[in-house]
Amino acid sequence: MTAPAARIHVAHTSAPAPHHYTTLGLDSRKVAIWAFIGSECMLFVSLISTYLIYKGRSVVGPFPHETWTDPTTGHVLKPILNIPVTSASTFVLLMSSLFMVLALAAVQNKEKPKHSRGDRILGNSKLWLWMTAIAGTTFLGFQAFEFTSFVHEGLTIRTNLFGSSFFTLTGFHGAHVTAGVLWLVTLLAIDYRRGLGSRDSLLVDIAALYWHFVDVIWIVIFTLVYLIK
Amino acid sequence: MATTAISTPAYRGEYSGEQSGLWSWLSTVDHKRIGILYLYTALFFFMFGGVEALILRAQLGAPNQHLVSAEFYNQLFTMHGTTMIFLAIMPLSAAFFNFLIPLQIGARDVAFPRLNAFSYWVYLFGGIFITVPILFAVAPNGGWFGYAPLTTKPYSPGINIDFWVIGLQILGVSSLAAAFNFLTTIINLRAPGMTLMRMPMFTWMAFVVQFLLVLAFPVITIALVFLLFDRFFGTNFYNTVSAGADPLLWQHLFWIFGHPEVYILVLPAFGLVSEVLPTYSRKPLFGYPVMVYSGILIAALGFGVWAHHMFAVGMGPIADTFFGLTTMLIAIPTGVKIFNWIATMAQGAIRYTTSMLFGIGLVGLFTIGGISGIMHSSPPADLQQTDTYFIVAHFHYVLFGGSIMGIFAGIYHYFPKIQGRLMDEKLGKIHFWLTFIAMNLTFFPMHFSGMLGMPRRIYTYDAGQGWDLYNAMSTAGAMIFPIAMLIFIYNFFKSRKSGEIAGSNPWGAGTLEWSIPSPPPDYNFAKIPTVTSRYPLWEGKEVDHESARINSQEGKTAAELGIVMPYNTIKPLLVALGLIIMFCGLMTTPILIAAGAALLVFSLYSWLLSPLEPEHH
Amino acid sequence: MKGTDRLRRLASYAFFAAFAIAAVSCNEAHPNTTLVPHSDFGREIDFLWNRLLLLGTIVFVLVEGALIFIVIKYRRRENQPTPPQTHGSTMLEITWTLIPAVILVFIAVPTVRTIFITQAQAAPGSLNIEVTGHQWWWEFKYPEYGVTTANEIYLPVGRTVNFRLRSADVIHSFWTPQLGGKRDVVTNRTNYLWYTPDSSTASSVWNGFCVEYCGASHANMRFRVFTVTPEQFTSWVAGQKLPAQFGAVATAAPARGPNPPPPPGSAPGYIFPREKIPDYAVPHSPIPPDLKFTPGLTGNAARGKQVFSGAACIGCHSIAGNPIAMGVLGPNLTHVGSRSTIAAGRFPMAAAYLALWIKNARKMKPEVLMPTLGLDEYDPVLKAKVTAATGGLTDQQIADIVAYLTALK
Repeated sequence: MTAPAARIHVAHTSAPAPHHYTTLGLDSRKVAIWAFIGSECMLFVSLISTYLIYKGRSVVGPFPHETWTDPTTGHVLKPILNIPVTSASTFVLLMSSLFMVLALAAVQNKEKPKHSRGDRILGNSKLWLWMTAIAGTTFLGFQAFEFTSFVHEGLTIRTNLFGSSFFTLTGFHGAHVTAGVLWLVTLLAIDYRRGLGSRDSLLVDIAALYWHFVDVIWIVIFTLVYLIK
Repeated sequence: MATTAISTPAYRGEYSGEQSGLWSWLSTVDHKRIGILYLYTALFFFMFGGVEALILRAQLGAPNQHLVSAEFYNQLFTMHGTTMIFLAIMPLSAAFFNFLIPLQIGARDVAFPRLNAFSYWVYLFGGIFITVPILFAVAPNGGWFGYAPLTTKPYSPGINIDFWVIGLQILGVSSLAAAFNFLTTIINLRAPGMTLMRMPMFTWMAFVVQFLLVLAFPVITIALVFLLFDRFFGTNFYNTVSAGADPLLWQHLFWIFGHPEVYILVLPAFGLVSEVLPTYSRKPLFGYPVMVYSGILIAALGFGVWAHHMFAVGMGPIADTFFGLTTMLIAIPTGVKIFNWIATMAQGAIRYTTSMLFGIGLVGLFTIGGISGIMHSSPPADLQQTDTYFIVAHFHYVLFGGSIMGIFAGIYHYFPKIQGRLMDEKLGKIHFWLTFIAMNLTFFPMHFSGMLGMPRRIYTYDAGQGWDLYNAMSTAGAMIFPIAMLIFIYNFFKSRKSGEIAGSNPWGAGTLEWSIPSPPPDYNFAKIPTVTSRYPLWEGKEVDHESARINSQEGKTAAELGIVMPYNTIKPLLVALGLIIMFCGLMTTPILIAAGAALLVFSLYSWLLSPLEPEHH
Repeated sequence: MKGTDRLRRLASYAFFAAFAIAAVSCNEAHPNTTLVPHSDFGREIDFLWNRLLLLGTIVFVLVEGALIFIVIKYRRRENQPTPPQTHGSTMLEITWTLIPAVILVFIAVPTVRTIFITQAQAAPGSLNIEVTGHQWWWEFKYPEYGVTTANEIYLPVGRTVNFRLRSADVIHSFWTPQLGGKRDVVTNRTNYLWYTPDSSTASSVWNGFCVEYCGASHANMRFRVFTVTPEQFTSWVAGQKLPAQFGAVATAAPARGPNPPPPPGSAPGYIFPREKIPDYAVPHSPIPPDLKFTPGLTGNAARGKQVFSGAACIGCHSIAGNPIAMGVLGPNLTHVGSRSTIAAGRFPMAAAYLALWIKNARKMKPEVLMPTLGLDEYDPVLKAKVTAATGGLTDQQIADIVAYLTALK
């Protein structure tokens, strides 16, 4: 078991060392994550635009905000979006961003002396990384619940334009959350192996930027898809 | 450093000083060697796409010919476009991005050397993936633009379109990874004193192109995801049969990507020519700041003109007016570039090297493409031009007259830097003139066949339509290209072996890449230079000359200079392989998807958790 | 208007002088030219085109002239010292930003004007034609007259025609180069295109094309437009409105042989005389060499009607007057004998071609939806031979159908 430990041990040194000259004095990975986020914005803009373009153009139900009567069977389908439940999951995801901020602060201040129990809780990077990952997983759980109940109510990705664009948009977001959770778990593994210290704050910083981005995108999706009729 | 230094790596990683052998190429992370890999691969695909074009032209040489079937013709024109755009011109530009950007900004490598290798391997595998089907006549046949609903399952039930959707998706991964890398490199790895407004124009245009890539490729990614889902999982994005989908969704998404893509293809060539013309005129680039701003403006406006590809779809007068006017606006910064190039040459001391001839060729030929571009910026006029051979003429003047001429100018200009030897100028000039004649003989008559009513993408046409002469001319011209290319290839390989030794600055150029030996050592710069000028070798201060003096010395190894170099590693290749296997699995069996995913995840973690380079002391 | 004329003349001169090879752009040599418009729509575009061509030619000559002049004048000479290291000139930059901008104003203003003129609603009283694009043929309906035809349109000169464009499958594009610009035929959308053929075009034939790539036989999706006098148009409509005239004709003059001479006066309404159709509107597509038909067969139209009505034909084709033929997937064949081409302009309407077409359409036109019907013929799409069990027709049966169809004037 020493080999993996050694590997992880050297992990943070895979950063270009400080003596590598950079124009901005920033680590290149920080620059790159911003470029990546810019690119991701266009990805979600395309998905959200498609959803909005196809809004109200489905030939058959179920619809997000309107009831629909099947002309052949006379079956009445209620509006499918469950806004209270999604509000709860949105709240959980919002809280995860707060945990992420605390996790980053904990890593950045790892070496600072802790004077009180409060300091020690705030400075516990493992705790906050766990909280973030759990909140993210809870959000995914909500999403899984939502998807299953939609399928039971007769909305699949193949049903209509709404189903295709809704599942693809929220599914893409869910995939991003999943990737984020895996990232957090990886950070946790490093933290357990050798402890994350202030020298690693960049690793956590980048993950945090990504996490906040995914969170902000959800706010946009929640507003445009769920709240606005 | 807080941690213990590790001097011997715990895994197979070699010091990148190793420069020969297959393994060194498979595991290289050196931007110059990756650039060379890009160059060779892209030249191969360029010729492959050229052969496809020759068959197309042979079929159209006379009316009612049937050298190939309609089905195969449609595969050929689809793959000709796809190959030239995604497998030839973009990677040829990427070859120059790789080789030149770090050298021009005074960096030791790109920001993420292993990601750079990954980009190349994904490109290579993706290129093979999308190209092989044509050998079995099952190639994509929906056009490079893949308009839905023709490309949806009900109208294209075969696997042809699957190859296209997945292939482009793979190539998109490569382009995006490379774009993040170069964007970061240019932002963050410029040498001291290399301010944005001192960057060589090629790096500037490359910088602009990376923004375009980063912002445009996600859009095609999503458009393709929709098509992929429609074809594989029965979603409705383009399902016009039963779900009431609007096929214009595809067109809008595609062209929001597709128009910036045009600038992705041509701006690197503009950058190369902006290095070539000053060098052989022995004059700085005229109006440098204006050249920068016009490049930025072209790119920015490029996101607001996409629907000029759709003037015939019936968007209504307001949209037509908007997109017509924005398109016309782009002519202004483009014209400014051409005028500045001409002004760069004015009052200069012009040497007619092969590179310069190609550079001048670009200015002259791109102008024609620009003027015909204005002709279809006017939506009503476009209704007589769009989807005819007039458009084919137009964009070949832009993409051949612009991109390819610029890329050849770049190849002749930078060959000595890459290989350390000069290319044969006599053969080079024959290559230029044959290319120039072939280009005009092939594409100029297409203006006429188009305005005389010949539609695009037709595998045959009837006799007596008034198109025979122009098609015969185009076909005759096309047959000259292979002669020109053979001369080029012969020259390329002969000069590699036995060309005249180049020295560090054979052309007397003024930018940083010419201050180091040819070919450059793996570490590029013995000492990271300090820059005080746009042309450090022409108008630099003492500190520039001092850096140049140190950096031009040959024969020192990185170890002797105490420069830490990244390890060679095979992991980026393995990740790329895992990705490809996953996508192959999508077309065949889930077992492959799982195998690919396992390889991908394992290699990716192994890559991310292993150090880039030895620990410093 | 004088200035406009001069502009146009200048533009023409520039064009012709520079490219003598295109000098003869008259109808005979270039039957599909966009440069000689024959409708109001075409002229609007042509006005813009001439201005674009004139300005483009001026810019071309100036820029290329300056480029060549400078490249030659400033070539390096022996022992030349380093040239002056100029970096730019704000004045020049402003100048060559403003000049193109001014040129563009002269393009933009008429462009916007023309956009709004040509995309306005068609004038009331226009002739409505419903165009439906199919893979790979055109369906034309005249709703006011209850007439349905395929791949051929008759238009009265001087009257605005308003095309209502819809697609039955993928995206197509409707274009008659000599009569105006094109408009895409987009799935799940309705587009409009209108123009007024000039009075001078009476008794003319124009080629039309599909110009949006729509699959394997995109190249074979052509159509013909006949511009006729209003009187001829009225007569044509009267003839087309009638159900198929086969019964009367057949008893009076049974069709003989694979290529019967058209019985004079057999058509009830006006039909553009075949002998007056210019060469450019007569298809020259070669017949696949491996497709053969038994020579010397004589078809019987009455028998042909029976065979037709009992074969796969009726699944896709309608013939008004033949109550059993009500299919809607393929072209309406009510007056197919009066048309000048078959297979969307790929072959002439003649017994020899029609017989081969029925026998193996997929060899005649790649991937066409019409199935192969000839007994023992190989169907390239199904990759199988047609047998009697799968509805294969003998050459004699096909000859009978041909006799029937060619008689449907």
